[in-house]
Amino acid sequence: MTTTTENFDLAAAEAAAAKRATDLVDRALAAGADQAEAIVTQGQSVEVAFESGDLKQTAVDEGATLGLRVFKDRRMGFACTNQTDGAALGGLAKDALQLAGFSPADEANLLAEIAPSEAGEGESLVHPSLAGLPIDQVVARATTFIAQATGVDDRLRTDKASLSFSRAATAVASNAGAAARESAAAISLSLFGMAIDGDDVGGFDYWGDFVRDLADLQAVQDASIERYASAALGNLGAGAAESYHGPVLFSPAAFQDVFLGPLVSASSAIAVQRGRSALKDKLGAVVAHSSVTVFDDPADTRLGGATRYDREGVPATRFSLVKDGVLQGYLYNGYAARVDGVASTGHGAGGARAVPGLGPHALHMLPGDGGDAGDLRRQLGRGLMVQRFSGSVDPASGDFSGVAKSARWIEGGEQVRPVRETLFSGNAFDLLGKVLAISSQSEVVMGGCRVPWVLVDGVSVVAG
Amino acid sequence: MTSSDPTNLLASVLEADGGSFVELRYHKKRSRSLAVEKGRVDQARVAEHTGVGVRVLESGTWGFASTDRLEQAAVQRAVDSARAAARASAGARKAKVEPPPPTELARGRFDQPGYDELEAAPLEQRLELALELEAAARASSSKIQSASCAYSEVFEEKGIVTSDGAKAWTRLVRPEFRMMAVAQDGGEMQRGARSVGATGAWDCLFGRASAEELADEAARMAVDLLSAKFPEGGRRKVLLSPSIVGLLTHEAIGHTVEADFVLSGSCAAGKIGQRVASEHVTLCDSGASEYYPGAGGTLSVDDEGVPAQRTVIIERGILKSYLHDRESAAHFGVAPTGNARAWEYDNEPLIRMRNTYIEPGEQTLEQLIAGIDDGLMLDGPRNGQADANGEFMFGTLQAWPIRGGVRGELMRGVNISGLAFEVLGTVDGVAREFQWDLGSGHCGKGQPAKVDAGGPWLACEVLVGGRTE
Repeated sequence: MTTTTENFDLAAAEAAAAKRATDLVDRALAAGADQAEAIVTQGQSVEVAFESGDLKQTAVDEGATLGLRVFKDRRMGFACTNQTDGAALGGLAKDALQLAGFSPADEANLLAEIAPSEAGEGESLVHPSLAGLPIDQVVARATTFIAQATGVDDRLRTDKASLSFSRAATAVASNAGAAARESAAAISLSLFGMAIDGDDVGGFDYWGDFVRDLADLQAVQDASIERYASAALGNLGAGAAESYHGPVLFSPAAFQDVFLGPLVSASSAIAVQRGRSALKDKLGAVVAHSSVTVFDDPADTRLGGATRYDREGVPATRFSLVKDGVLQGYLYNGYAARVDGVASTGHGAGGARAVPGLGPHALHMLPGDGGDAGDLRRQLGRGLMVQRFSGSVDPASGDFSGVAKSARWIEGGEQVRPVRETLFSGNAFDLLGKVLAISSQSEVVMGGCRVPWVLVDGVSVVAG
Repeated sequence: MTSSDPTNLLASVLEADGGSFVELRYHKKRSRSLAVEKGRVDQARVAEHTGVGVRVLESGTWGFASTDRLEQAAVQRAVDSARAAARASAGARKAKVEPPPPTELARGRFDQPGYDELEAAPLEQRLELALELEAAARASSSKIQSASCAYSEVFEEKGIVTSDGAKAWTRLVRPEFRMMAVAQDGGEMQRGARSVGATGAWDCLFGRASAEELADEAARMAVDLLSAKFPEGGRRKVLLSPSIVGLLTHEAIGHTVEADFVLSGSCAAGKIGQRVASEHVTLCDSGASEYYPGAGGTLSVDDEGVPAQRTVIIERGILKSYLHDRESAAHFGVAPTGNARAWEYDNEPLIRMRNTYIEPGEQTLEQLIAGIDDGLMLDGPRNGQADANGEFMFGTLQAWPIRGGVRGELMRGVNISGLAFEVLGTVDGVAREFQWDLGSGHCGKGQPAKVDAGGPWLACEVLVGGRTE
């Protein structure tokens, strides 16, 4: 379907998605499935993209995605499509059942039973201010955004930027009780670029965020531009760091990538069951410094993953992962829960184009008492401050290695120069026990999680 | 949706439209994928994402819209939506875009081999093989805790019609095979992985090593890395395998010569005709699979309807060309290079690489090893990233020390970094055997793109991120 933004009705889209999901389940059962679960997403977006500071293109997109998981004799098959005609819907059931026909049986291949009383709770994700926005208003907002971003400093070269307005409805239905419906609307913005001063080309940086209420846009826009511009401009004049083994100050974004990523991955019940988790047999054990507390809060609507339901229609609720350094629990989706004979924690993850995965919705790391980032720099005294990580982390071993990006060399507790060609490495699981200090405030990282600044000891730094 | 030639229907929309520049791209993408781990099937999936992407140039501004229906009325509505979007934003466009100048555009049918063969092959056999290989990997050592095997094949059909003459219908298939094993000994856990990807049929995946050999290599790598140590960090002489050379060409050079990035001020800006590498380096990006068939980024026609030719980026150390779409080529006054690519029908084309490589030299691998007094051999690509200033990073899975021209015992892989043109300036040895080895990778730039990269073994100097105590 192709329409303009004005005639897209989100409430109608949600109702249509729910009807299609139920219809898909019925078709699959009629075709011979023992169990069926359908997910339908239906939405529209308008994106205004900028390149090299000028408007590149405005794109309007509208469509639906339908995913169907079937179980037949404990054998699983999955099919998805963006086609919505009757033939395509019938084809989905046929394709999924055909795959189930030759997949081996697995005793855990049963949908989680969801009682009708288990309705998800939480705020609406559609604020009246974003119920609808004509294209010209989206373009006007985008133009204001890019003008503000490019006006910060003549040396700033914003390679790519965008502002998009999106609305989407999701429905999950199954013959095991799932009947979840949820809609969301947001304005998202992104910035990517670098600073150039004569022959000096600084390293790039990027930032992005979103709002659910139009009244919040200017504040988030201001903060995003400030974060992006200060990092990119600060990358000019980069020099050498020094090689050492010791404390490094991690920005919220860098700490998320290097430490929280592998922690979450190892907390997946499937990773534990399959023998590729360093946190196996560590429930109730110390896995991090006592100042580290991490939890998932799907009711935090400031974060993009906020939701009332997980991918399988199970209500999503607050979940404690690590408290005071002690591992509190593993994340479960329906399949992993069935393997261990426990209830799902509501962490089915993913969209309509794949079998449900496993992951958190809106991750939080609790702030500490270390003051602000400046206080942590003074505690570091001399060493490396990393704002962005460009590297790799092995989720099984926890080994990480990468380049310190938008990084600064600290002396006397102050930033003395940006650095380039500086690699750092270590093991995330080991170093979670070497946290020296945590800032007193957390920050929202790219609209996805809330994480504070963290000073970590024992990191290997190699300077070029 | 249809599997017959979509270009006539698209052309009829353009005939009826008669407006400004319009580009219509029908893109049917159908994939089949399997994933097994520890004897269980995690993924058995068929997916389709099909529709028509429409790009119009109206009032000097691009507008884009899409439809999931290959029907004349639906495509016309998408043209109208794209035109409305362009008009709504034209006032905000500062430098008006001119219609792309005339150039050679593709007309006709352009199929890559393997489509019909893979489509006819039963997925059931692939699942049986995946289950067998995964079980064999787990059985190969008591230290293997977990193994997984994944297979996917993506069938793509495109019809590209533009108002200035392109009318091309293309089909291709891209299969991928991945094997991973996790080994544990005491508190130590290590991972081994092998993956291959191709454009073509099943045989294209396993020209160099069979599926069984790849599974065995992944398992052995995981076990062997348990007892391996970290190499010493610092600026080191290194010998990069073809897969790592692929990462170097793609991440360190390829991105910096994408013309959109050049226009924003990448480190390659203004360097055409200048020496940016040693004379041993000739670096190209090609829509064809040079040297032998099957490279993962192969395509005949790009998503603007331009034939996807071979582009020499660096010739014997001199920067010769950037990578272009039609708009950037017009800006630089050169011919487009066929690098405009879109991930799916509802994505607009961007400047992307295809198969990027360094041409082979004259030496053997043994001669290169013998020529290094103190250095490292690096193999097994992980991820990578490049920066505007040419600083790159990529990860490796395995390393071997070279002392006095002799290769030592396996060490753990490391991440390496450097400034692209500085590193290319240190290249002093290029092997004669060529290999594509990044076909299972995807490039990310707002939207994914299937690419490949490779080359011969190559000697240079980089910054190695080993452990320091």
